[in-house]
Amino acid sequence: MVEFTLPANSKVLPGKIHPAASSGGGRVRRFAIYRWRPDDAENPRVDYFDIDVDECGSKVLDVLIKIKNEIDGSLTFRRSCREGVCGSCSMNVNGKNTLACTQSIEDYVGEIKIYPLPHLPVVKDLVVDMSHFFAQYASIKPWLQNDAASETGEQARASGQSAAGEQLQSVEQRAKLDGLYECVLCACCSTSCPSYWWNGDQYLGPAVLLQAYRWLADSRDQERESRLRQLADSFKLYRCHTIMNCTDTCPKGLNPAKAIAEIKKMLAGLD
Amino acid sequence: MSLKTRPLSPHLQVYRLPLTGLISITHRITGVFLCLALFGVLGLGAALAGGESAFLAAQACLAAPLGQLLLWGSAYALAFHFCHGVRHLLWDLGWGFDARRLDALAKLELAASAALTGLLYFLS
Ligand code: HEM
Ligand code: SF4
Ligand code: SF4
Ligand code: FES
Repeated sequence: MVEFTLPANSKVLPGKIHPAASSGGGRVRRFAIYRWRPDDAENPRVDYFDIDVDECGSKVLDVLIKIKNEIDGSLTFRRSCREGVCGSCSMNVNGKNTLACTQSIEDYVGEIKIYPLPHLPVVKDLVVDMSHFFAQYASIKPWLQNDAASETGEQARASGQSAAGEQLQSVEQRAKLDGLYECVLCACCSTSCPSYWWNGDQYLGPAVLLQAYRWLADSRDQERESRLRQLADSFKLYRCHTIMNCTDTCPKGLNPAKAIAEIKKMLAGLD
Repeated sequence: MSLKTRPLSPHLQVYRLPLTGLISITHRITGVFLCLALFGVLGLGAALAGGESAFLAAQACLAAPLGQLLLWGSAYALAFHFCHGVRHLLWDLGWGFDARRLDALAKLELAASAALTGLLYFLS
């Protein structure tokens, strides 16, 4: 539902200021970070941390880890790989969603504002509840559907596959998956999409639709028809109005809006 | 901890819409505005059919500063809505998704709608 303002319990209040440790002499930058904890009934707040960035790694995630280690151990965020492949550290930095571990502090001037991914229930601080997002991902059956894999070697040879029943692809067929398989399911795109904010209960959103297209575009998959039938729905797919926030924000440089357009083309018989 | 008491993370409050996003919402706003402007067109049509005094009154309304603003505002809204509409149709054909060119194409749209409005002005 379209609801432009935040509910009363979600309004963000000003919080604590943590001044820089005086020892330094390096460049101090202010980080404004969204905080909320489930322990009491208080509203979310923004805490300010003045950090000497010369005493710290170069990425936004390095700052968060420094704060957690040295200033406030209760600061809560997700991270794992710290190299942009696990998709856990997605958050909103200065108004745009990104992966904290690949985002350089140097890319920003002035105060750096860090919020959780937009329009999701907050579990704690920068950790949001992504269960609905992953349920939607599961709904598109994100795996290869192909019965031929169980053929015997004999049958496989006859149908042009290798003896072990491998699913061979030509270079061209494989190239169609470039720009799709790299998605790390960070949800930066989906949570940047106004249509997903207002209709996310039914609209699948750019990340899941890009994944849906990843299987539609796979020459080895045999369920193209049923996959398309499942998507041909005014809410699941056609809430995309080509706003393009998704493509603008994807930290892996992918193009979910284009993938969605390709699905629409397939459904219109233009492919 | 029940889900209901979890706060909703800020969205419009913090998100900085890219130019294409701003243009997209403007397309919707101009779409709604043009629907309203059609009532104005209806009114003008009625005035045309309503004899000399109604015609002169409508002419005076249009000549007034507010009338001129509404007229050329609508013209720009239509030109812009048309240009972005064309862009939508190209997108639907799968063309124009290159992330590096999004901003340039958005600016081209704004310039083209200004040029179209200018053209209308000189033709009128
Ligand atoms: C007075 C004339 C017009 C009126 C009143 C009008 C009105 C509207 C409205 C209300 C919408 C829905 C906006 C939305 O859901 O975002 C819309 C969408 C659209 N209009 Fe127009 N329009 C007019 C002229 C045109 C013209 C000349 C074009 C030619 C290119 C055009 C192309 C489109 C397209 C492609 C959409 C769909 C955008 C989407 O998918 O979100 N319109 N229009
Ligand atoms: S398409 Fe990009 S932004 Fe979206 S989930 Fe995949 S990697 Fe993240
Ligand atoms: S292009 Fe579609 S999916 Fe991407 S932000 Fe816009 S509406 Fe959402
Ligand atoms: S920590 Fe894995 S993507 Fe950032």
